Amino acid sequence: MKKGFALLLICLLMLTACSSNSNSGTKNTGSSGNTGKAENTATAEPAQAKEITIWAWDPAFNIAALEVAKTEYAKTNPDVKVNIVEYAQADIIQKLNTGLNSGTTKGLPNIVLIEDYRSQSFLQSYKDSFYDLSSVIKGSDFADYKAGPTSLDGKQYGIPFDSGVTGLYVRTDLLEQAGYKLADLQDIDWQKYIEIGKAVKEKTGKALITLDPNDLGLIRVMIQSAGEWYLKEDGKTPNIAGNAPLKEAFEIYKGIMESNVANVHADWSQFVAALNNGDVASVPTGNWITPSITAEASQSGKWAVAPLPKLTTNKSVHASNLGGSSWYVMNVDGKETAADFMAKTFGSNVEMYQKLLTDIGVIGTFKAAAGGEAYSQANDFFSGQKIVSDFAAWTEQIPSVNYGINTYAIEDILVVEMQNYLNGKDIDSVLNDAQAQAESQIK
Amino acid sequence: MKKTNSTFSIRTKSVLTGWSFVLLAVILIFVFYFYPMLQALILSFQTGTGSNLTFTGIDNYTRLLSDKTFIVSVKNTFIYLLIQVPLMIILALFISVLLNDSKLKFKGLFRTAIFLPCVTSLVAYSVVFKYLFAGNGLVNTMLLKLQLISAPIEWITDPFWAKITIIIAITWRWTGYNMIFYLSALQNIDHSIYEAAKIDGASASRQFFGITVPLLKPIILFTSITSTIGTLQLFDEVMNITKGGPGNATQTISQYIYNLSFKYSADFGYAATVSYSIVIMIALLSVIQFKVAGDKNG
Repeated sequence: MKKGFALLLICLLMLTACSSNSNSGTKNTGSSGNTGKAENTATAEPAQAKEITIWAWDPAFNIAALEVAKTEYAKTNPDVKVNIVEYAQADIIQKLNTGLNSGTTKGLPNIVLIEDYRSQSFLQSYKDSFYDLSSVIKGSDFADYKAGPTSLDGKQYGIPFDSGVTGLYVRTDLLEQAGYKLADLQDIDWQKYIEIGKAVKEKTGKALITLDPNDLGLIRVMIQSAGEWYLKEDGKTPNIAGNAPLKEAFEIYKGIMESNVANVHADWSQFVAALNNGDVASVPTGNWITPSITAEASQSGKWAVAPLPKLTTNKSVHASNLGGSSWYVMNVDGKETAADFMAKTFGSNVEMYQKLLTDIGVIGTFKAAAGGEAYSQANDFFSGQKIVSDFAAWTEQIPSVNYGINTYAIEDILVVEMQNYLNGKDIDSVLNDAQAQAESQIK
Repeated sequence: MKKTNSTFSIRTKSVLTGWSFVLLAVILIFVFYFYPMLQALILSFQTGTGSNLTFTGIDNYTRLLSDKTFIVSVKNTFIYLLIQVPLMIILALFISVLLNDSKLKFKGLFRTAIFLPCVTSLVAYSVVFKYLFAGNGLVNTMLLKLQLISAPIEWITDPFWAKITIIIAITWRWTGYNMIFYLSALQNIDHSIYEAAKIDGASASRQFFGITVPLLKPIILFTSITSTIGTLQLFDEVMNITKGGPGNATQTISQYIYNLSFKYSADFGYAATVSYSIVIMIALLSVIQFKVAGDKNG
């Protein structure tokens, strides 16, 4: 009897365990409960009602760009209603994954913004869920490096949007105290960069750079500048062991850490705080940081943008990419309207791109737009430097790489191995171990 | 003959009435608990990204055993379990005995204060903790001012201290919850037992270990099992405070499931396998806890 009772209790326990387990499952997919909201704002019959829904994140950047596009589109198509729904990027990924996996297209938007590092994972995982835009836009109208993430099997699925083109944002006042000028930062490599950092630290006590040990964005920037990635060109085979630029990038990262020129931050707000407080003398990152830097008005005139330092390998250039995203039309009712919306706005409207740049600070990747007026305007915050035309010029040099579908899975492996490397593990075994782990994980 | 028939029909009727009462609940349980559990089990035998799933037998389960990230996640989770659960239970027991003292004033206030963390939102308190324990956060500032440390502790970016931060956070959140169980159990212990013990000259600690702990044993078993389950499913705190980092120093199994499903390329099959590994671990641990502590009460 006792045993029977104990058995019953165990069964009960297992049930509660399972049930609370499935609870946490719903917690993960959590916000899908909110889809109702999106569904309501979305239309019941988009095809007839000519109403489309778009999901994006970041109200100051992507959503603001959409609002501009919405106004532009309304000029020629006043009868189409455009609903813009804002979600955090992580929520969009969860909603898309759960929605597409469930096999029902209800609750999905007509257009969705996806980060370039992740786009292939969606395109390949849910093959018929995205609408082929080959007949609507031309991939070659956009920056070349955007072709990899936005197309699959020769078909164009994405409308390339913002450029993640990188630059080296520097505090000229701190540099001068250390005895350097902006001109000294043209055509340098990362070793020279560290050298300058040491001088800055010595003279001003400020850090050269701020780094998040969980985010290897800097490594990604360095290897893409040499035309390499975590994966080989097929987008499938891990390319870690024997990847010379990656090895050099690791060595530079360690060099930065060991020279004691780095400030450590743990999240985005601490990152931006480090820039705005004047704790760091430089930030090598994507151009999307400009609004965050200019937000600190008291530092006007103190910043400048230099070309990105390069690796010592011959292939490396002074231009790279970090982040960036593109629009995708879902293969659901209303796709034609959605494709038309995209074609008439982000796919062709040069004028609109000027407005996006002046009003919001969006540097697009539509080639024809770079000839526009807004792209050559001087920026007072950066002492009159024409930073956008610099960025536009660098955009053209960004080497194209295949991000594949496993950028973040591999990066999590590398983050751990980076810690081991910093703690003294030999670089070759670091990369070999990461390669072995990536191979077993990616199937 | 007629009589038997009518008895039979009455019996059938009562059985049917009984079932009709519980039918809705049974259907709901089957649809929302057993069906997803079964689906997840089927899913755990499939691999592929997104909707490109194919049956690959026990591939996922063999992958589990050689998956370094999974092993680290299990290790981390068990470190939390082995340090935090006993720590929290002892602390909760201690506090509840103090608060049960009849001579104590402002009992209600203290009880509320200690229980209050349990009603705060998991995400909200995690975010607050992240800022308290940031490099230039309140905790470091205070420790520096009090001259207890000479340089700021890297609470969130150092592998060792990040684990400590998580342990502090979950202890703060859950101690009051367990304390409430002990308090209610303590109030069921007859005061005359303590009086008798006092007359016999038992010291306070003797009373605690001789009377309180043995009488609370069923509750201690209950709280340790629920805390074990809770810790094995730990997600919110780690996700919000450290994101599993630095490296994967604080990553838990639940967070690994999240990463496999959403951060990486939607590997739902393998994520389901990892979920089942938690179920198996919880079942095993619960059996062990029953064997160790529960037999005499069974």
